[in-house]
Amino acid sequence: MSSSTPTLVAHHLFRSFGAGETKTTVLHDVSLDLYGSQVSLLMGPSGSGKSTLLAVLSGLLRPDSGEVIALGQQLWQMSENEQRKFRLRHCGFIFQGFNLFPSLTAREQLEMVLRWSEGVSQRETERRVEESLMRLGLGQRADLTADQLSGGEKQRVAIARALLKEPTFCFADEPTSSLDWSHGEQVVQLLRAAARERGATIFIVAHDSRIVPYADRVYYLEDGHLSQKPEPRA
Amino acid sequence: MAFCAQLNILQWGVLLGTLSVLSMPIDRSQADVWVASRDVLSLELGHPIPNDWEARVASQPEVERTETYLFSFGYWHKPTGGSEVCEVVGTQLGEQALGALADLTPEMRMRLTEPGAVVVDASELDRLGVHGIGDAAEVYGHRVFVVGLLHGFKSVGGPYVFCSLRTARMILPLFQGKPHDTMYLLARCKNPAAAHELIERLRQYPELSAFTRDEFSRRTRVYWLTQTNAGIGMGCTAGLALLVGLVVTSQTLYAATAASLREYAVLRALGISRWRMGAMVLAQSFWVGLFGIAVAMPVIFSLGAAANFAGARVLLPAWLFAGGNALTMAMALISGLAALRSLRLVEPITLLR
Repeated sequence: MSSSTPTLVAHHLFRSFGAGETKTTVLHDVSLDLYGSQVSLLMGPSGSGKSTLLAVLSGLLRPDSGEVIALGQQLWQMSENEQRKFRLRHCGFIFQGFNLFPSLTAREQLEMVLRWSEGVSQRETERRVEESLMRLGLGQRADLTADQLSGGEKQRVAIARALLKEPTFCFADEPTSSLDWSHGEQVVQLLRAAARERGATIFIVAHDSRIVPYADRVYYLEDGHLSQKPEPRA
Repeated sequence: MAFCAQLNILQWGVLLGTLSVLSMPIDRSQADVWVASRDVLSLELGHPIPNDWEARVASQPEVERTETYLFSFGYWHKPTGGSEVCEVVGTQLGEQALGALADLTPEMRMRLTEPGAVVVDASELDRLGVHGIGDAAEVYGHRVFVVGLLHGFKSVGGPYVFCSLRTARMILPLFQGKPHDTMYLLARCKNPAAAHELIERLRQYPELSAFTRDEFSRRTRVYWLTQTNAGIGMGCTAGLALLVGLVVTSQTLYAATAASLREYAVLRALGISRWRMGAMVLAQSFWVGLFGIAVAMPVIFSLGAAANFAGARVLLPAWLFAGGNALTMAMALISGLAALRSLRLVEPITLLR
């Protein structure tokens, strides 16, 4: 099911906020490996540092110490521009809010990402966007603006946007929190399909324990300490 | 955006229209050169000058012919009671007359030869207390009667009263018993291009002023715009319209960009460069500007036509549209550039709760 070589390795990550008496350590010596073709789920109570860990692993927040090696490259030794280019080539993101431009259609939201990524022709952009919309069941809704889409449809567009570039990594922060379970389950299945079909490394941060059966690895973060739960699936 | 484009173009159209009315007796004359008393500031502010100067002007080699022109304020006593300040314009009336409005028909010119006959703008009838052609009133106790109506000459100050030189001399105290005085001398050049050369020579006489028609027209408008309360007020309003347009456009685009900061933050997380997002904001500004103009154009034409119908003069020349639209696009793009500042605030980490 999974490759034996991790696509992302994190060693001894520390991250704190504030200074002096108000200093709070959010990540305390966290280490973990993520693998291609797998869904890794990070759970934990509110304020436990889950989103901070996601940000550190994905190159959005610099750790106080420790290292993140993604595809063999030291992520936090890169310049800001190199990190941006790394994210452009290899990373997709899904955030809690849908964060879609309200006046753009579903199709335009996706085209924008591909058009602005390097080396994708107009024809290729149109083909991939169409394919992505069809795969997510949005073929009939492609020309509606974000304001006209339901919550579930918006999240599917957000997922399509994250997976459109066929990234090596997809980081999802509470992707089901604003959806009912029927839509939430759809979302998780789509992410799982991306892992299985394209070998993507999926990292999900969530509260919802109903996601656990869909994960290959489940991590638990509490008070900045990370532990791994037994693999939920054989 | 559409509102700003309308506001600006209409406001400037009203200003241009108002200014054009002020200098209309000059602009609609056939004279190439206007000669007046020393340092005259505008059409309304001349002092009587001797008719004798006409020989001086007529003797210049460039001049084809000359004539006198009377202009003065008067009190119009309405037949219904009350009075109104009016602006009396007395000119020769022949077809080749230099001072007569080009808009006077041959019939009007003929009827104006009768002492006391006047022509006024149709929209001023109520103000003058008369109903139309044939009605009579008094100016300084002298009977005058309306023999024709013009359109588009509604004045900024008192209503214009157009008449013959003879009538003007009869009703204006300034010229009564002074047959050797005039307010202006008008000259027609054999070659209009020689007007500048002529006025340069005439200006050697220190007791007179000489202007080309365009110069005197501009001088009259600039005086009103910069030296009278009404002109300064209207100029300030037009300037304010520009300022309001800039602020509203800027704030609208800034707010639109700021409202989408989370969406831009997602693009930033996905590795899209800031300059690409900046280009999108500028493209958005461009389209917003263009859409604003497209919406504004028919509205401006309608409002302009309505204002003209109501008697106000709104001028909407092509250059005003070109300038106004260029300004609107410039405002949109400058505002877009200002809105780029908000992109500096875009940090994907803010999307993680």
